[in-house]
Amino acid sequence: MKDSLRRTLWISRVTFLEAVRQRFFAFLLVLSAAMVLSSVSFRVFDFGHGELKFIADFGFGGMFFFGSVLAVVMTAQLFFSEIDNKTALTLLAKPLSRAEFLLGKFFGAWAVLGVFVLVLAGLQGVVLWAREQELIAAAEQAGKIPATFSIVGLCELVLLQWLRLGVVISIVLAISALARTFLFAVVVGSLAVVAGQLQWIAQDALLRPTDSPVYAFFLWVSTRLIPNLQQFNLADALVLGSSAVEEGALIAVGVSGVAYLAAYLTLGSLIFRRREI
Amino acid sequence: MSSAISVRHLTKDFRIGIRGLKLRAVDDLSLEIPRGQVYGLLGPNGCGKSTTLKIVLGLVSATAGEISILGEPSATSAARRRTGFLPEAPYFHKFLTGRELVRYCAQLSGVASADLDAAVEDALGLAAMNEAAGRPIGTYSKGMLQRIGFAQAVVHDPELVILDEPTAGVDPVGSASIGRMIHAMRDKGKTIVLCSHLLGQVEQVCDRVAIMDRGKLVLEGAVEDVLSRRDRHVMTIEAMTPAARAAAEAALEAHGAKVTSITHPRRSLEDLFRELVTGSRDA
Repeated sequence: MKDSLRRTLWISRVTFLEAVRQRFFAFLLVLSAAMVLSSVSFRVFDFGHGELKFIADFGFGGMFFFGSVLAVVMTAQLFFSEIDNKTALTLLAKPLSRAEFLLGKFFGAWAVLGVFVLVLAGLQGVVLWAREQELIAAAEQAGKIPATFSIVGLCELVLLQWLRLGVVISIVLAISALARTFLFAVVVGSLAVVAGQLQWIAQDALLRPTDSPVYAFFLWVSTRLIPNLQQFNLADALVLGSSAVEEGALIAVGVSGVAYLAAYLTLGSLIFRRREI
Repeated sequence: MSSAISVRHLTKDFRIGIRGLKLRAVDDLSLEIPRGQVYGLLGPNGCGKSTTLKIVLGLVSATAGEISILGEPSATSAARRRTGFLPEAPYFHKFLTGRELVRYCAQLSGVASADLDAAVEDALGLAAMNEAAGRPIGTYSKGMLQRIGFAQAVVHDPELVILDEPTAGVDPVGSASIGRMIHAMRDKGKTIVLCSHLLGQVEQVCDRVAIMDRGKLVLEGAVEDVLSRRDRHVMTIEAMTPAARAAAEAALEAHGAKVTSITHPRRSLEDLFRELVTGSRDA
């Protein structure tokens, strides 16, 4: 067990190094950071909502979108590049199980996404704090109640976003273990993310009565197979305090995320075990 | 003592296309590779030798047949712990240095932390890569890639080393260097299985060979036995005059022997090349 954990750790370490040294990671990180920083300049287009909400929506939108792109493309690339260029042959000929290889890839990619989310959330926190100070000063002069944001809520959101990206990585790894081409893994992985974002529609439809048992069964299966990725988007509630989030609800989201993550990693390992390289 | 590799009635079928047409890559192959020898597995492209090696290493599953490595069922962790592998045209993480790669592979192969540094330096030394080990792999030439690949394959001191086309794309100097590494491993009592198209090199380094064609074994035996023509002899003579030649032919014919050809000995182009570029390395 100890040896197995060590091997997984070594694979994830090299996967992490490989990913952070790629231009693609740096490019998306810079692009997302630019989006977070530029949110201050675009706050005049706040569409009547509060400035802090606009800044938060803009920044978290960038984190969510580019994080998803990074999770899909980078994971598929990290997995396929080693199979395509035969590095996987060298590694899997060693006393290393395929599950350890896949888990190493997962933890390496997840660590990269952790850095991505942490850097962007840090920047987002600085931008929100700076604007908050200006708004507090202006509100005090005008005798109004200032808008504020929660640092604790921001930290909770970082964890949720990281977990959400972990679920995406595990789905893409399961798809990659089955796929024969990089393109297939990226396209199907992207569709899975879109399906996850829209899963709540199936959940709503399932609550409505229907005459077709086939349709009801299809909805039931869809809502079990596809995780609801929208449930992790609690930026407004957690960071801006627009509505109260019960601790139990947060734990339920976390447990659901971990359960999907474990299920897709198990599925990926089972598929990869039978794959001929 | 069990064989280094024992293959019994190995068959591998690949399913191709939507209709799942069957393509037989290896057809009822049986092989016993003895320990402590350099064993050459030869054959044209697509004859099934790489597939056989992949099945031996557990990278591809067999359709039928049994394989054991050093007495252990192949594809088990215990068998792979005692085996080193260099794939054809290896590609390693470009951002790692040679030393980092060999260390990484040593860790994955189960080398104890206390022995890690010594094992890495020994393997780099055997592959003559000590000087370049601090450079990123992305800066290596093809020959250096093969040598660092060799180092990662032997870093955990395996009893069996499997080399798939170790000299593919490598110049004769680099190729000779890999030949020396193979001999060094054999001198340590290791078994080396070599898969190659370079027949001249196989002839020089291997003790036994097996030739495959269309998935089947067509010839197997000691190099000396399969190549020697016991009914023919070669003499190398210095300063032979026409008179001496006529006398020698007459003397041989008097004893019932027949001289079928007299030619000047030739050295191989590879020998000439190595002689001319002696001392140069492909660094």
